[in-house]
Amino acid sequence: MVRHVTLALVPLLAGTFVLAQGGAITFEDVTAKAGVKRQHHTRVFKGKTGDVLAMFTSGGSSAAAGDYDNDGDDDLFVTDSDEGKTNILYRNDGGFRFTDVTAAAGVGGGNDPLSIVADALWFDYDNDGWRDLLVVRFGTPLLYQNQKDGTFKDVSAASGMNSFANSIAAIAFDYDRDGRLDVLLGNYFKPENLILLKSPNVLPNDLDKAVNGGGVTLWRNLGGGRFEDTTKKAGLANAMGWTLDVGHGDFDNDGLPDVYLAGDYGTDRVYFNNGDGTFTDTTETSIGFDTRKGMNVDVGDYNNDGWLDVYVTNITDEYMKECNMLWHNNGDRTFTDVSRESATCDSLWGWAAKFGDFDNDQLLDIFAVNGLRSAGPENYIPVLVNMITSPGIDFTDVNNWPAIGNMTWSGYQKKKFFRNLDGHAFKEISAAAGVDNDKDGRGLAVADFDQDGRLEFFQANANQEPIFYRNVTATVGNWVQLDLVGTVSNRDAIGARVTLKTGSGKTLIREVEGGNGYAGQSTRRIHFGLGPDTTIESLEIRWPGGLRQRANAAVGKITTIRETESKGSK
Amino acid sequence: MLHAQGAGGDPLAAMEQALVAKPDDLRAGNDYRVAIMKAGQYDRGLDFFEKLVAAHPAAANAHLNYGFQYVDKIPAAGSITQVILANNALTQFTRSLEIRPSWIAYYTRGNSYLYWPRIFGRTTLGIADLEAALKIQKAEPKRGLHVRVWVALGDGYFKMDDLAKARAVWTEGLAQFPDSAALKQRLALQPDGIQALLDTVYDPNKRVDTSLQDLWSDT
Repeated sequence: MVRHVTLALVPLLAGTFVLAQGGAITFEDVTAKAGVKRQHHTRVFKGKTGDVLAMFTSGGSSAAAGDYDNDGDDDLFVTDSDEGKTNILYRNDGGFRFTDVTAAAGVGGGNDPLSIVADALWFDYDNDGWRDLLVVRFGTPLLYQNQKDGTFKDVSAASGMNSFANSIAAIAFDYDRDGRLDVLLGNYFKPENLILLKSPNVLPNDLDKAVNGGGVTLWRNLGGGRFEDTTKKAGLANAMGWTLDVGHGDFDNDGLPDVYLAGDYGTDRVYFNNGDGTFTDTTETSIGFDTRKGMNVDVGDYNNDGWLDVYVTNITDEYMKECNMLWHNNGDRTFTDVSRESATCDSLWGWAAKFGDFDNDQLLDIFAVNGLRSAGPENYIPVLVNMITSPGIDFTDVNNWPAIGNMTWSGYQKKKFFRNLDGHAFKEISAAAGVDNDKDGRGLAVADFDQDGRLEFFQANANQEPIFYRNVTATVGNWVQLDLVGTVSNRDAIGARVTLKTGSGKTLIREVEGGNGYAGQSTRRIHFGLGPDTTIESLEIRWPGGLRQRANAAVGKITTIRETESKGSK
Repeated sequence: MLHAQGAGGDPLAAMEQALVAKPDDLRAGNDYRVAIMKAGQYDRGLDFFEKLVAAHPAAANAHLNYGFQYVDKIPAAGSITQVILANNALTQFTRSLEIRPSWIAYYTRGNSYLYWPRIFGRTTLGIADLEAALKIQKAEPKRGLHVRVWVALGDGYFKMDDLAKARAVWTEGLAQFPDSAALKQRLALQPDGIQALLDTVYDPNKRVDTSLQDLWSDT
């Protein structure tokens, strides 16, 4: 039953920004200045097949934004992947100065001889108001409990999340709406340790329709720091693909979080939440089966029609023309790919891509990173194609794949910034925006790190230094940001839907998300660009538990809103 | 030995039966592929032609149709499978040429090479085949289909960044076929426009018209 609680509704003060329609969006590279330059290292594998395995596992460079110390600004956790290399926790000290506090926090570990760190996720699993940390691995995940004093305690063993998987993606969401955050892991390879490699047949059994990947693992939060594997019970065990990313959002506006899986070497999948702890796989009717190389899932309402859309990156390059997918939500549990019409089709060898209203004009733009491997002048593709076209070749056998050596494979690719022009068409402006770097991008963490109302992003790169971009767009629209605090619902309010009606009558929606997008977690803080609007007509929060609450927020400010504990009116 | 199944009420089976009897019949093979495409039963067609050429390895036109059968399936396949299918098609076109060189086989293989991105180094092979086809057609009475070689050969030179040669080929072709819209279009475009056009024309996700019907209606 949906409950309504109405708080005083007051026209709100205007911010000071004035939107110049179509003005330049610009970013500044502040990596060195911010002190976050340390490079990522991909895992080095030993032996004859090491070269190929290293190529197949060249992810693992991720970044998670989250306020672990409750000082009001988003900090950064950045992963590394080679044996013995430590992950890094950067504390945001304000003014774009960050301090490496890894050692004191005790969260650097994970890259042991038999495990590879691949992703990370902030989430308050115990609802104590302090964000905990999940380190996702090719191995077993590590769960760190926030001790509220800048340190963390490894509680992995007691958590029950102890089954081996080659996990590369993670989201936290409350799929069963019991007020506790559950975890969905996306697994790439099947659950076999690549470092021990007992069998060479670990690679995709088909390069367009593979079904021998790791699928997903759904860990239900039981409370008391315990999780149980409910993948099969929830109806997600049929996902046997090479999952590269997992995303959540309420796609049918029924108040329940649904799931989108991006599959490499085969089809993506869509699951709708039945509201009873199970999901229904609607892939065939919702999006159809595809053969593309799904790399990323991000969720947002790009056309402001009140329905969450999905952006998936694939591979579009000289030798492969897959096109990304911008799934327009039709509002009937089906989606239509409008990437070509919207000009968001081509981001080359795609990895993470994130929605964000970077100029506060009410429209979600997209920043997409790309590039697999930038190395020597020789190109790996002709070599690879010789293998692929060999009659009767067994793709699963790692011994059959040619070594890459110092060859380049879809490297030195310019990043893509798709500016949303009108809710339908986008324009690629990466060079003008100053973000057309050619690093081997992987993950993205989007947040307003300096709390000036403009979203920036941290770009994690494979085997390279990251790039931290500060948003220095001179003229942006008005904005409002919301920190939602669940009381009945999960404390992080992940899954909360905010509907904002601007003074001029436009309706915008946002959801608090728990790690959407490949190898990166963006802020859980809700951000609305308001454009020229200086007032908010109404603001409604639909909490994950179902409560609907009206609230106020000041334009140009960050407002904290707690889920009311009042029963309210129905 | 290949045995066609009893035709019964299955029109495809009847066509297969006819092809088994005359494996080198280019037209019968073409009609069969058209029927396969309508039915969307590409794997059936591939399976049939595989057996047909195994039973009749010297049937050049069976190999040609086998290659076309791979091409017909390409738009229905994923991006990497497309590469495998395209390569299999080239293998069959090559076998056909080895058995019996012909204008259609040179044109077909040459045109197929143009679908490969330049990175694979096959564009020059395509140009060589198309030049061979051109040489053959210049020695034959003019036919409507010959315009395709002028178009494709110019496309090949353009892909190799030789705009002057491409324009020269298209211009010479237009002199032969003054009504050719394809040649006029290319000659009217600036390089960026030509590139955009060729990106569309040689898009592996779009169906290629592999019907050879014009061979029999063309005089």
